[in-house]
Amino acid sequence: MLNFILRRLAIAIPTILVIILFSFLLMHSAPGGPFTAERKLPPEVLANIEKKYGLDKPLYQQIGVYVKNVVTDFDFGPSFKYKNLTVNEIIASGFPVTIVYGLWAFLFATLIGVSLGVFAALKHNTWLDYLATSTAIIGSVLPNFVMAPLLVLLFTVYLNWLPGGGWQGGQWQFIIMPVIALATSYLASIARITRSSMLEVLNSNFIRTAKSKGLPTQYIILHHALKPAMLPVLTSLGLSFVGMVTGSVIIDQYFSTGGIGQHFVNAALNRDYSVIMGVTILVGTLTIVFNLLVEILYAWIDPRIRY
Amino acid sequence: MYVDNKKVQDLADNLSDSNEIEGRSLWQDARHRFFKNKAALVSLITLSLIVLFALVGPQFSPWDYEEIDWDAMGDIQTMGAPSFSSGHYFGTDDLGRDLYSRVIQGTQISLMVGLIGSFIAVVVGTLYGAVAGYLGGRIDSAMMRTVDILMAIPFMFVLILLMVMFGRSIYMIFIGIGLLSWLEMSRIIRGQTLSLKNKEFIEAAIATGVKPFTIVTRHIVPNVLGIVVVYATLLVPGMIMTESFISFLGLGVQEPQTSWGALINEGARTIQNGTLWQLLFPLFFFITTLLSFFFIGDGLRDALDPKDR
Amino acid sequence: MNLLEVKDLSVQFDTLDGTVSAVNGISFNLKAGETLGIVGESGSGKSQTVFALMGLIARNGKTTGSIKYNGQEILNLPEKQLNKIRAQQISMIFQDPMTSLNPYTRVSDQLAEVLIHHKGMSKKQALAESVQMLDAVKIPEAKSRIHLYPHEFSGGMRQRVMIAMALLCKPKLLIADEPTTALDVTVQAQIMTLLSELQQELKTAIILITHDLGVIAGSCEEMLVMYGGRVMEYGNIKKVFSDPAHPYTKGLLHAIPRIDHQGSQLTTIPGSPPNMLRLPKGCPFEPRCDVASDTCRNEIPALQEFSKNRYRACHSAMEV
Repeated sequence: MLNFILRRLAIAIPTILVIILFSFLLMHSAPGGPFTAERKLPPEVLANIEKKYGLDKPLYQQIGVYVKNVVTDFDFGPSFKYKNLTVNEIIASGFPVTIVYGLWAFLFATLIGVSLGVFAALKHNTWLDYLATSTAIIGSVLPNFVMAPLLVLLFTVYLNWLPGGGWQGGQWQFIIMPVIALATSYLASIARITRSSMLEVLNSNFIRTAKSKGLPTQYIILHHALKPAMLPVLTSLGLSFVGMVTGSVIIDQYFSTGGIGQHFVNAALNRDYSVIMGVTILVGTLTIVFNLLVEILYAWIDPRIRY
Repeated sequence: MYVDNKKVQDLADNLSDSNEIEGRSLWQDARHRFFKNKAALVSLITLSLIVLFALVGPQFSPWDYEEIDWDAMGDIQTMGAPSFSSGHYFGTDDLGRDLYSRVIQGTQISLMVGLIGSFIAVVVGTLYGAVAGYLGGRIDSAMMRTVDILMAIPFMFVLILLMVMFGRSIYMIFIGIGLLSWLEMSRIIRGQTLSLKNKEFIEAAIATGVKPFTIVTRHIVPNVLGIVVVYATLLVPGMIMTESFISFLGLGVQEPQTSWGALINEGARTIQNGTLWQLLFPLFFFITTLLSFFFIGDGLRDALDPKDR
Repeated sequence: MNLLEVKDLSVQFDTLDGTVSAVNGISFNLKAGETLGIVGESGSGKSQTVFALMGLIARNGKTTGSIKYNGQEILNLPEKQLNKIRAQQISMIFQDPMTSLNPYTRVSDQLAEVLIHHKGMSKKQALAESVQMLDAVKIPEAKSRIHLYPHEFSGGMRQRVMIAMALLCKPKLLIADEPTTALDVTVQAQIMTLLSELQQELKTAIILITHDLGVIAGSCEEMLVMYGGRVMEYGNIKKVFSDPAHPYTKGLLHAIPRIDHQGSQLTTIPGSPPNMLRLPKGCPFEPRCDVASDTCRNEIPALQEFSKNRYRACHSAMEV
């Protein structure tokens, strides 16, 4: 098992470096950036950048400096737009927000999605199954940008129960709708995958053997069926994570929560390349780490793939 | 990303377990079973109606999609509401433009994005996956490792980046979305190719001296066609959602052209004013189309799966 | 008294394409310690018959008839009560040990849970007894190997693990569904020998399902020949082999390749097995039978005792 983890790490680390390199090169070739001849940046910003990156040095040295800064100090450099802010400060202001509602959304989607899926599988072909499946299907065509206005329509405009936006330090009223809007479509897909996976496992030969051993049904489900049924769900969790991270961009826009997504879009519109790079690297790294965790969990459940 | 990959993978596994596809019988069988599936059938009809609407709809409207109705402009809540007399069947948007025509325009754009993006993803993914799977060995490893790395990059970010760097244009959207979505498809096709590669009829082709590229195009691709069709159908809604997502952010199609995403965005911003039709009409088309594609794709998958035969 | 009495057992499945009649009116008896072999082609309904005995028929299946174990009717018994009989009275080993063992759980857990649930043992006791059982099925170094996962065993060893698992509670009846089909011939012989040794020791009755006549010949006292979900012939194995009373049995025996006979072609029974969705009105074997008559096509032959403890289902007159 340890061997497996180490091998996976050995692949993950170069991947992260590639992402850093990729981001750097993208920034370097972008029109209107400080590295091109058309230096349209305000002089103070330009001064910061020159100091940081040594623009007169050869390219490979610049890459080296950047990578070293990122990897050793987590220093993403100064903002290209705001002369007094560093990328790290900008990220730090948005990251906690995104993490809070992101985590809640993830937990919500996973726990409820899996429960719904298992439930539907156990009550296969009864009306409960059809109800659960229909709910999942409807959920899958309600992405966050559809759910967000619908939720606001119901809870803010009609019922006046919840505020239509803002964050204010993250009190529960401001978290609920972002979480539901973000989680819904993933909840639906997790439920569908869990259901079909559970059905398949329940039809497999080793479950038949377990039944023939006279073991009680509940025991069989918990001890024999559940873990393997989770495998495809795990794989999809990686995708769900990425989806929710990108979806946070919409959430930030619509609910004005001020998370990292909003900063990213602003940076994109303002051509604040260092911020763009910093966020991309951060998110890319998080994704890789997350996928690594998923792979490890997968290997923990399925002993056959540990080699 | 929105596709239920496990289902497609299962279909792929089942198809490769059975022997070489015997000519037409798979397709005829599949067609028969597809038509027995009520949900898929209803969806097919619905989708056809929507396409028809997109093509023929403009004939019925006195307004076009960018014309501003000055009468309505002053007081959208009452004057802009849906009515037959004013010719605004779906009402107007906040700038007084006819929503019916704009929805049609949005339908055209969104459907095109979905179909073309899907097409690009399918073509690139299939060829890439088939070649990687067929060549095998180190080349295959290298190609697939590249796919893995590319998949780790949050593509939405890259897409937004590309948009900002190269400007907003419809073509950028098609290409951008398509190019970033072929990854999963290539994985599935590669897996299929690997299993097909070991079948006898491929050995026979090699033994009679058929060139590798011809083998890929003549033998492998037709046998993975089933998977491709299903995946493509399930990919279209994902494409539409991605485009809508970008439009919702304001980075998509340029004004005065519009898409479902942009319309939903505009509609979402004005719900406080009581002009609900601005949100609900585009939303209706969006949801209905996505559901239709979903059921059709699911139906195709069930129809083509040899295990259930 | 018969350990097992099966009367008129039928299993039908409701599928999208129609009703499949997998098992049609099977009857047989089994005494304690006896071995019954059930032979038939793929799709003849052999496996479904024994699944019905264990209550393992799929959800869309309907079972009718009577299955009496020690005088008690166990057909369609509620799950809770059936679980008391499974593993303790009747247990089963399956065809493919790779997929029939849980690949995600260690063998030790899969063995121990049977004893923990049925005999109320503690984990430690259950483990010790499981190791003993693995020794009995001749798994080397059982004490350490028991903690491995199923994929870390070879095919033959996996089957031994299944046998050990099935015999943990010393059941009175063991059902073996094609236990050697997925194995090499040499391993096959080992497994059959093992089964017979364990049977002698534990005095278990065995129902052995196979399509391999060679396997049956070496291990069973009675044999049942199935075709199209029905019994064609049933009786003492020596008599059936030396003097088959049904055209199908005759065909099967003739089809066995023999080293001492010269010939250019292998004998087969022409035709293919029936479509279980649309079974013929009469005898299911009629389309392939060379002594069939019109009666055969229209009337299902009943299973009749034509000689002491020998049964056949055939309209044609007997060749003496």
